[in-house]
Amino acid sequence: MIDEKSTAESLGSTRTYGQVRCMNPSCTSRITPQPGQTMAKCPKCGSEWRIFWVKAGLPRVRGPVWETSLKMANAKWDTLTDKKEEK
Amino acid sequence: MALDRKLAVVDLTTGNIEIKPIPLDVRKKFLGGRGLAAYLLYKYVKPGCDPMGPENAVIFSAGPLGGTLASAGSRTDVMCKNPLTGLLGSGNMGGFFAPELRWAGFDHILVKGKADKPVYIWVHDGEVEIKDGKNVWGKTVTEAQWAVREELGDPDIKSAVCGPAAEKGVKYGNVMTGIKNANGRGGGGSVMGSKNLKMVAARGTMDIKIAHPMEALEFDKKYIEMITGAKVNQTMGTLGTPFIWGAANAWGGVRANNFQLNQLLYSDDIEPESLDEISNQTVGKYHMAACFGCQVHCRAKYRIPDRPLSQKLGMVGKYDEGPEYTSQNAFCGEPGCTKAETLLICNHLVNQYGVDNLEIGSLISWAMELYEKGILTSKDTGGIDLRFGNDEALIEMIHHICNRDTWLGDVLAEGGLAAAEKIGRDSLKYMIHVKGMNHLGSDERATPGLALNAAMASRGSDHLRSRPAIDLYHLPEQVLRRIYGSPVPYDGPLSPDQREYAGKAWMVFWQETCFMGVDCLGTCKYHTTFLGATLPNFEDWSKVLYYNTGLEMTPREMWDVAERCNLIERLFNIREGMKKDDPLKGEMLVDRYFDEPCRLGAPDVVGATLDRVKFEKMRAEFYQHKGCDEDGIPTPQTLSRLGLDTLDAEQPRL
Amino acid sequence: MEARVLVIDHDKCTGCRRCELVCSVFHEGVSNPSKARIKVEKWEWEGLYIPMTCRQCVDAPCMNVCPVKAIERDDAQGKVSVDYDKCIVCRSCVAVCPFGAMNFNPAEKKVFKCDLCDGNPQCVRFCDMKAVDYIDSRKESTVRKRDAALKMAEAKKLGATTVYEG
Repeated sequence: MIDEKSTAESLGSTRTYGQVRCMNPSCTSRITPQPGQTMAKCPKCGSEWRIFWVKAGLPRVRGPVWETSLKMANAKWDTLTDKKEEK
Repeated sequence: MALDRKLAVVDLTTGNIEIKPIPLDVRKKFLGGRGLAAYLLYKYVKPGCDPMGPENAVIFSAGPLGGTLASAGSRTDVMCKNPLTGLLGSGNMGGFFAPELRWAGFDHILVKGKADKPVYIWVHDGEVEIKDGKNVWGKTVTEAQWAVREELGDPDIKSAVCGPAAEKGVKYGNVMTGIKNANGRGGGGSVMGSKNLKMVAARGTMDIKIAHPMEALEFDKKYIEMITGAKVNQTMGTLGTPFIWGAANAWGGVRANNFQLNQLLYSDDIEPESLDEISNQTVGKYHMAACFGCQVHCRAKYRIPDRPLSQKLGMVGKYDEGPEYTSQNAFCGEPGCTKAETLLICNHLVNQYGVDNLEIGSLISWAMELYEKGILTSKDTGGIDLRFGNDEALIEMIHHICNRDTWLGDVLAEGGLAAAEKIGRDSLKYMIHVKGMNHLGSDERATPGLALNAAMASRGSDHLRSRPAIDLYHLPEQVLRRIYGSPVPYDGPLSPDQREYAGKAWMVFWQETCFMGVDCLGTCKYHTTFLGATLPNFEDWSKVLYYNTGLEMTPREMWDVAERCNLIERLFNIREGMKKDDPLKGEMLVDRYFDEPCRLGAPDVVGATLDRVKFEKMRAEFYQHKGCDEDGIPTPQTLSRLGLDTLDAEQPRL
Repeated sequence: MEARVLVIDHDKCTGCRRCELVCSVFHEGVSNPSKARIKVEKWEWEGLYIPMTCRQCVDAPCMNVCPVKAIERDDAQGKVSVDYDKCIVCRSCVAVCPFGAMNFNPAEKKVFKCDLCDGNPQCVRFCDMKAVDYIDSRKESTVRKRDAALKMAEAKKLGATTVYEG
């Protein structure tokens, strides 16, 4: 009984290290920051993320680069509100 | 054996104490913990009773894995009819109380009636006594715990206490243990206060016999590695639960300025990494603490840092633990405050007052929006400039609510719905709640699955009842199929896209069952499929339960127990007046989710709203998965399948 | 080879008490901290947790006080143990231990103490923080030396004087 692998246990082997995912929901590309790097730009959608290293091999997105995030959000908002006005 | 713990029914009106064994057939049907508590609540509490009256009960429960080798067998469930919502009140806390209760011989302490003066309940090695509470009443959460140790002369006593806020009748008082382990969201502390019950103190030296000790030790080693091997738990063991807030704020998934924004901009100072640095500086390199038997150790120790605001308020150097994800919601995002010292001070205050952080923070943030809109004026606030981002106003309001010493403080102490009635105008429109409980600090407009969870949570808006958090991880469909297709088959849609509606109802239903399962066992939610996809669930529980307790149950049987217990909670809510579309007591989100688009965050989050039609379809699917009709009422076939057809008629099984 | 010793670095302890748990399960087959050979003493309001267990003293007071010479130290294993055939359960050893590491089980009328689990201490095996460790006795101070030196090095970087001038 001890030796049988459960679903959850066998999924453990699918873990990936050294990467984060872009947090833009339609993008979700994998980004591989260089060890110790504290900022990473998504190669696909251009979002910029501040990176924190929990330990070697385990980066996480600490937060967005505020200026970039705000600029992209405002640009998106403008396209949405422009559309509404056209209607 | 590990299952031989008992139920004590304590009547504070008569002083009568009954001690009852928990028969094995009851175990097999409800397991223990939250599940069995739901059954007890349903059978012991008179329908329609006043939650603050003697007819309500408050039930303290440990699970069958409490105190065993199973990782983090630390959880205490507290259940009652919630004074805030008039529906199910249920909370769950870590710490060291549940194992101590089990070493003292008990799994469940059900308290009903009302004492004529302050008392506490003393549970020790098979005995239960009602004791005079004069030395503990009126004390803060921690002072009361140290006082009872002093009174009884034993530094190892663990207690579940209510704080000064609950004593004053604040409707969202927590049950707490240790420095900060909080049984929030359920109003259990308020019910204790209404009964003149300050605490249940426990101390035990009785064996919990492990069924297969050597095999259990070996299995446990593997089980722990599954848990600590997960990246999410390594992150949590370093940064605590604040990492969740940090991640959600990164893409715009938190409430800010009540619910006007979905991201707290320039919040670097309250990001988990900054809080970790404060702990580093004020406590030292090793500053993470753990609940009983847990190797994730997600609870940070801290002292309030020396900064101008902490100096001004005389709070520099005060010790506390946390803050959790929920405190960042309540004291940063929602009120729009970005200073770490504010967060750490507020966290300390709510821990000492024993009040629900999410509820109090949300209510103050709601009042801030009312102030902004002119619905509340400085006359109503007693001169407090209650604008968003005013740290001192936030802190002052916490004191006023917990002490009920100003008009607004007193009004907010009664909870949001009652307050909206008193404040009037269209104040209710701005309150973000489900079933009368304020919503936690996440914003689900861009994540339909998570939104469904919030609307369906049996205790009112909440993430810990059914949130499919791994929906945010973009896991490949085949991985989702493996997780969500076990232990019961599912071949409907499943999508890795968090913006989708299809298939999310099943994920929420599966998570609801999983979370009930883990709460029945009495272990921690972070040790199951919540924040990580590779963590143990039904299949693994079957083994851990067997090695530790000797109870043989298949994963499917454990699923059935969880499904049954969830249905009892639903039946309780229906009995107490829940109707699916009722804006006050129903399973619906407020209009702002559907009408106001997200303004900030990642480009694809900007502009997001929930689609009402799709949301209602998702809800209908959820009801179907649960075996309920279109109104969310369990069908007779479902009741019969789960053995609940005689629930109303039967004599309590224990 | 030098016998290994159980060392405790309480700074690292998270207070989870798994050591107590696995100790009582390994020795008694039950979860019951009152039967564990190790106990985490806590000052919760300061976040201070200190695991306490037998230090296997060379000149052990329990051994010295025992009127029937039931307690012996095995230098090769670095272990002080009770010979239950000789023990008269007078509990003098319990009274005299400066660390409270000798315990009494009233149900079985026996004293009990840490036996290092025959060379594989379960508390160490299950402590992920290694707040409790089982190492070469000479290493205990070398680790501390390096930690202290590191602190001085860090202080020096910040401009502190790290040289003592008499």
